[in-house]
Amino acid sequence: MTSHLRCENVTVAFGGVVACNKISLEVEKGKIVGLIGPNGAGKTTLFNVLSRFESCREGDIKFNDVSIINKKRHQMIGMGMARTFQNINLFAGQTTLDNILIGAHHRTGNPFSNMLWLPAARKNEKAIRDRAIAIAELLHLENELDNEVSNLPYGHQKKVELARALAAEPEMILLDEPVAGCNGEETAELKEIVRKVNKELGITVFLVEHDMSMVMSVCDYIYVINFGTNLAEGTPLEIQSNPDVIGAYLGEDVE
Amino acid sequence: MFQKSPQTADALKSSFARQNFFAVVALFAALLVVPFVPGVEGWMASEMSLVIIYVMAAQGVSVLTGFTGLVTVGHGGFLAIGAYTSALLTKYYGVDLLVGMLGAGFMAALIGCVLGLVFLRLSGAFMAIGTLGFAFFVGTIVNNVPIFEGREGISLPKNHVLGLMIGDFGFYTVAVAALGVTTLMVFMLVRSSVGRAIMALRDSEKAAESSGIDRVFYRTVAFSFSAFITGVAGALNAHFVNYVSAEVYADIWYSVDFLVATVVGGSAVLMGPFIGGVFVAMVPFVFEELADFAFILKGVVLIGVLILAPAGIADVVARPFRALRRRRLAEARGGGV
Repeated sequence: MTSHLRCENVTVAFGGVVACNKISLEVEKGKIVGLIGPNGAGKTTLFNVLSRFESCREGDIKFNDVSIINKKRHQMIGMGMARTFQNINLFAGQTTLDNILIGAHHRTGNPFSNMLWLPAARKNEKAIRDRAIAIAELLHLENELDNEVSNLPYGHQKKVELARALAAEPEMILLDEPVAGCNGEETAELKEIVRKVNKELGITVFLVEHDMSMVMSVCDYIYVINFGTNLAEGTPLEIQSNPDVIGAYLGEDVE
Repeated sequence: MFQKSPQTADALKSSFARQNFFAVVALFAALLVVPFVPGVEGWMASEMSLVIIYVMAAQGVSVLTGFTGLVTVGHGGFLAIGAYTSALLTKYYGVDLLVGMLGAGFMAALIGCVLGLVFLRLSGAFMAIGTLGFAFFVGTIVNNVPIFEGREGISLPKNHVLGLMIGDFGFYTVAVAALGVTTLMVFMLVRSSVGRAIMALRDSEKAAESSGIDRVFYRTVAFSFSAFITGVAGALNAHFVNYVSAEVYADIWYSVDFLVATVVGGSAVLMGPFIGGVFVAMVPFVFEELADFAFILKGVVLIGVLILAPAGIADVVARPFRALRRRRLAEARGGGV
């Protein structure tokens, strides 16, 4: 098995509160892997560690066999890992196209040659722009390119955030609740898009989600965490029938 | 990895860009001929130079406050650094005005770079207070360090450019040309990946960083760039009256005026500093007899703009044009794709 992302005994604590306690998991290349657990289980904290917004007290995280725990936030994109946010985090006053272009930032090359509009920089800029438009078309955002993102409906904003992450052409994409707050129609569309991203673009997807129908239908493999520790792992079928998981979500029977 | 489908909208976009370009060229041509319009006298040409200086300094502020989102109340400090750098260069080394301006810009950029690193963790009101402190710091230095000759001031030799002595008209021409260059610089900055990066940092630092934008680097670039432009304006300000003195540069009013100009005009719009700079520079002339009233008017206009049009006057003016263009673009896309 080729392990793409490997977390070993990751422990994160805020003061005395231990948010993640020795969490270990592995994400295989080319798969869609889900991370689920009740509220407060430490899912978003783990994602924040992966994208370097939090640092871990113990443990190691390897991405493509390189340890990332000493990397800076802005270096993660260059390593091939992009993310989206749980609460939409767009550049509000800017257009959809600009938002997607910012996602492609690490492909823009030398900033000084860009500032001088040197021929190579202009050529590169054009290529990046074309690619951004192509991504928008892939996500059916082509009619929103010149609209400010703050004027877009919620579902579109979710897609713009995904498009921004895709613009970086990452190897792996972290989706923090991609369908939270979406209606049925939007959820179905995003589900389709996540599959397309995985199958057609070959991007590994690691997602946190509370919508169980989404998780069970798109994920190849699922990790369950509870109170900051590993609870279970397995295929969707295994997870659905795992008594520990059912207990964590629904409460255990009192004998 | 991705294939692009054909867009007729591209053609429309480049025609918009051409229209903008011609409008700006027309504006600068108009600026250049103003002194030769019958009825405009020599002294007015020299006052126009002052307007140009304000516009340029406000451009510097807009890079930092408008596009990077860091409110600065300290650009008078960079104006002073530019003014004294150029003053000392021309007085002791007899350099050309153009060299003086470049030297002023680079010295201000260097200090701006250091200041950007020192203020790395500041934002919002704290950044405003930090930069205000910087302006006072510069004021204290020029007041007390002997080489700057404090309130006595330094008288400068007559201006010469490329070996030619220049008068008021010549100086005005140089100022307009310099403003043309700085306008182009700001335009190129804003429309490059660097401009996108600083605006992204302004709108959401978290999302920008996770999109691969190095916060330290781009903030420092924005600081240096902003300081460069205001530094060049400082050089012009020094040579405009051929005199620099702590009496003028240790004062906080320049910093406040530039911020007012940027906010009133529109801080994140390229034309904002033009409108704001003209406003701030012209108010004292309009109320020559009632100097105190000029202060009041500036305050009232500032508050009015903040309530009615927080993005500035230029934004209000541009809004209908933008809406029209967007509509035409949407039509083009609807028909083209």
